[in-house]
Amino acid sequence: MKFRQALAGLLLPFAGILFVGLLWTFLSAKVSKDLPNPIKTWEESKLYVLKPLEKRGEMDQGILLLASYSLKRVAQGFVLGAIFAVPLGFLLGSSQLFFKAFDPTIQVLRPISPLAWLPLGLILFRQSEPAALFTIALCSMWPTVINTMHGVRAIPQDYRNVARVLQLSAWSTFTKVLFPATLPYMFTGFRLSLGIAWLVIVASEMLTGTPGVGGFLWQEYNSLVYSHILLCILTIGVVGFALDRLMGLAEMRIRAV
Amino acid sequence: MSFIELEGVCKCYGPRRVLRNVNLSVERGEFVSIVGCSASGKTTLLSIASGLRQADHGSVSIGGKALAGFPRQAAIVFQSYSLLPWFTAFENVRLAVEAAFPDWTVARRNEKTEAALRMVGLGQAMAKRPSQLSGGMRQRVAIARAFAVDPEILFLDEPFGALDALTRATLQQELARLCQVAERPVTVVAITNNVDEAIVLSDRIFALSKGPEATLGTAIPVSLPRPRTAATVLHDEQAVRIRVKIAQYLTSHSSKPALHGRPEAIPSRALALEVEA
Ligand SMILES: Nc1ncnc2c1ncn2[C@@H]1O[C@H](COP(=O)(O)OP(=O)(O)OP(=O)(O)O)[C@@H](O)[C@H]1O
Ligand SMILES: [Mg+2]
Repeated sequence: MKFRQALAGLLLPFAGILFVGLLWTFLSAKVSKDLPNPIKTWEESKLYVLKPLEKRGEMDQGILLLASYSLKRVAQGFVLGAIFAVPLGFLLGSSQLFFKAFDPTIQVLRPISPLAWLPLGLILFRQSEPAALFTIALCSMWPTVINTMHGVRAIPQDYRNVARVLQLSAWSTFTKVLFPATLPYMFTGFRLSLGIAWLVIVASEMLTGTPGVGGFLWQEYNSLVYSHILLCILTIGVVGFALDRLMGLAEMRIRAV
Repeated sequence: MSFIELEGVCKCYGPRRVLRNVNLSVERGEFVSIVGCSASGKTTLLSIASGLRQADHGSVSIGGKALAGFPRQAAIVFQSYSLLPWFTAFENVRLAVEAAFPDWTVARRNEKTEAALRMVGLGQAMAKRPSQLSGGMRQRVAIARAFAVDPEILFLDEPFGALDALTRATLQQELARLCQVAERPVTVVAITNNVDEAIVLSDRIFALSKGPEATLGTAIPVSLPRPRTAATVLHDEQAVRIRVKIAQYLTSHSSKPALHGRPEAIPSRALALEVEA
């Protein structure tokens, strides 16, 4: 029984991948002749995958190297966003006044696409790198803001009473009670934020043409090397999945306390 | 004027009036117990007396001053323990010690923390988080946290409710000892639904009538010589009288018609209100 379950656990995902691969082959054969099939994609991209850390030119680099540039940018933008998001979430959660003043603004800013923010970033900073960070930070911070806010509101009265009874200073109350109580919510926010940051990175690299998975994708589109586009798409998916899993693990650990 | 003084306290939750005209005065160094049925408003009363909640009417004062917030030099054991789940038992207690004795050295604070935990029999479980402790162990951590700060005033909300009879008796003795040995007098307001426990520990006992609109009866003094134990109290004549008195008050002010009539006829064992499961 256990063996069959394990087999199903391995086989079913494999079957899913196989199905998508067949669909892909079918599409490239019947629908769009420009779309390279899986085998052709592999043939044309294997240099990037098999030598993932080789640097041959500014854009012509191994896929891991490209992904690492994107990841670094994502990390910077995400941290920058979190630095603003967490205090903002705490303020929104603890002060009704602050909430009333800023909630409408936040609700308006939240749905703005990275494609809209990026030009503003370029105007503000006149350079692509800070503009990209600005965009990532601004787009990815909202889930952290909202979740932190909810976390602060959800702190049980019991914990607040402990702080009152022990006569904790404002700082101790924050570090020993409020912050740990909010941490699980914050991590949920972090996970969602990181997902968004990874979505945004591709768009911002495409628009600014900086080296990274997104920049490479855009360059190869312009040079009509379509198999590399597929390589990039797969890489983006796999890295995004890995990021989400990692954050999921961190979140579980926090919640287990 | 008494040390702790509640006058004409009323408290409503929405349309529901839980406490009506509650008067309570506790002298410095006195041990006062409040007994009452479940949901009669004991926790509400204690949170008002300790400044965690505001009364709708009436006044609360401690040491002659109107109470504004939880008093310094006081400690409380919450009915729900209220331990911080991200800290170990040790860290939970140490947090209280740190806040109470900011100018002590770290070593001295740790020592005090350990002593408090050992006193409640948790020397082996100090490194565990609340989620890894049993209900009774959590309650003991909460007790240790309150005792560790050498409070002048102790508010206890069914502090031994989750404990077995043996541990309960041990901690009752600990508590009695703590109140007597301390250089300065410790004033205790304790809630319990165990009348025998109240008799063992208290100088005076108040009964809170069944809610809604619960109110306190007159004080029942306990003049049995100390130290008292559950065994000495069991058959003592005065203790029996007190049990009957409390049962009389609780039943005659109860809305349950079945218990009206002659409470004297209730066998004395049944008079000790049992701890809820
Ligand atoms: N925060 C609150 N909001 C609304 N109603 C409340 C609140 N706290 C308590 N009550 C109500 O007030 C009444 C008294 O509650 P309280 O907790 O004081 O009872 P208790 O005597 O401590 O009971 P127990 O012995 O079960 O602990 C109950 O009917 C309860 O439903
Ligand atoms: Mg209660």
